[in-house]
Amino acid sequence: MKTAQTIYQEGSHRWVVIARDPSKPNCVIDTNEYLVSREGDNLLTDPGGSEIFPAVFAALSTIVDPMSIRYLFASHQDPDIISSLGLWLECNPEIRCYVSRLWSSFIPHFGGDENSLVAIPDEGMGMPLGSGQIEYVPAHFLHSSGNFHLYDPDARILFSGDVGAALLPPEEDELFVRDFDKHIRHAEGFHRRWMGSTEAKLDWCERASRMKIDMLCPQHGSIYQGDDVMRFINWFAELPVGLSTFRHRR
Amino acid sequence: MSNKPTHKTSSGELAGFVRLNEGIKGVVLIAFQINIMALNAILLAHRAGEVALGFGVISKELRSLSVELTGLMQELSNDAYLAVNLISDLLRQERRYRLLKKATDLVANPSPALRDVMVRREEEFSLITHRVRDVRLRLLDRLEDARKLCQFGTAISRSAKIEAAYGREYGRALAEVSQEFDQKIQNILPSIEALCTGMQRR
Ligand SMILES: [Fe+2]
Ligand SMILES: [Fe+2]
Repeated sequence: MKTAQTIYQEGSHRWVVIARDPSKPNCVIDTNEYLVSREGDNLLTDPGGSEIFPAVFAALSTIVDPMSIRYLFASHQDPDIISSLGLWLECNPEIRCYVSRLWSSFIPHFGGDENSLVAIPDEGMGMPLGSGQIEYVPAHFLHSSGNFHLYDPDARILFSGDVGAALLPPEEDELFVRDFDKHIRHAEGFHRRWMGSTEAKLDWCERASRMKIDMLCPQHGSIYQGDDVMRFINWFAELPVGLSTFRHRR
Repeated sequence: MSNKPTHKTSSGELAGFVRLNEGIKGVVLIAFQINIMALNAILLAHRAGEVALGFGVISKELRSLSVELTGLMQELSNDAYLAVNLISDLLRQERRYRLLKKATDLVANPSPALRDVMVRREEEFSLITHRVRDVRLRLLDRLEDARKLCQFGTAISRSAKIEAAYGREYGRALAEVSQEFDQKIQNILPSIEALCTGMQRR
């Protein structure tokens, strides 16, 4: 069973992470879903795969009525991100799912149609949430060719999808990064193999370093906070990625 | 509720209809062979003239029987296709139902809206289940028609044997053809019976 934990709260504005599911099948990668809630406007980031839908739904119900989710945000098109879309729409056909324009005609294979999917243009866009505003920030080619992160300037939280992801061994799967050097070892292989473009990576690092970020929240692994955010950005900027680092030929 | 989605039933049913389609192909092939054979028999009877008038009439009957049987099999095949589509949809819905049910069971106090979703799911599921049942009943009716057609075929292929006896110098050739008719018809009957029992078992 997944658990829901509030990681930010300021009045009715809050971020809740749904994470760590010890009961999920081993063959399914563990994912973090984040509820962004402001004055009753509820958005769920990367709602996850259909097989973990019951666990996400149930964990969410301990915080809000899951039927009150109005928006979904899919950072990209992967099955661990958005294959539960059909089930969410089954519960509430009014849900709108924000996703890169590249994927708005691919994702209907998981559910939804032109009404339920809202295409985010390549340059990104803002969206009102409650009395505030969130931003869909471009992060193309990291790893998906149509990829976005979600930034909440008031909470100073960046949801970074697969960027910052770590595949943690069960004994080290803490919710927040505690020992950066130890933690980042579990992120290295993932970033080397999944993030194919040095150009895209440096462009993102440069933009991210100028943003005010208290917490960097990835879709897999632990949350970076405080100085670890900048540590991560610097580490990523230095990390060799792309085809030259990938020995696919003998 | 009797119509609650169960994965096992539907996938078993799907396999049943897929097998039915395979069986139909076998019958269509034999019907085609009867058609060609009957055409040759009509020509033979024509050559034999007076002595094979009756044989010619029977051959024409057999030929139209094969056409009718092919048409019936086409209708059966269309229904089997429809059933396969419906059941595939059912399988997809069953998976959704299972995940939604699991979610509802995990939530401490499911909201009325969530309960409504489940009720709608079950209603839709039972609607499709009924449609599958209707298709199966129609299939069984058509299989029954096919069986009767084959029984009629058996009877007239026996008559063909008798008619062959009046064929004088063509007698032997006509006897051979009537023997083949009989064999072909006898081949179809067990296939039809198998299709019937395959469908009734569910
Ligand atoms: Fe991904
Ligand atoms: Fe992922």
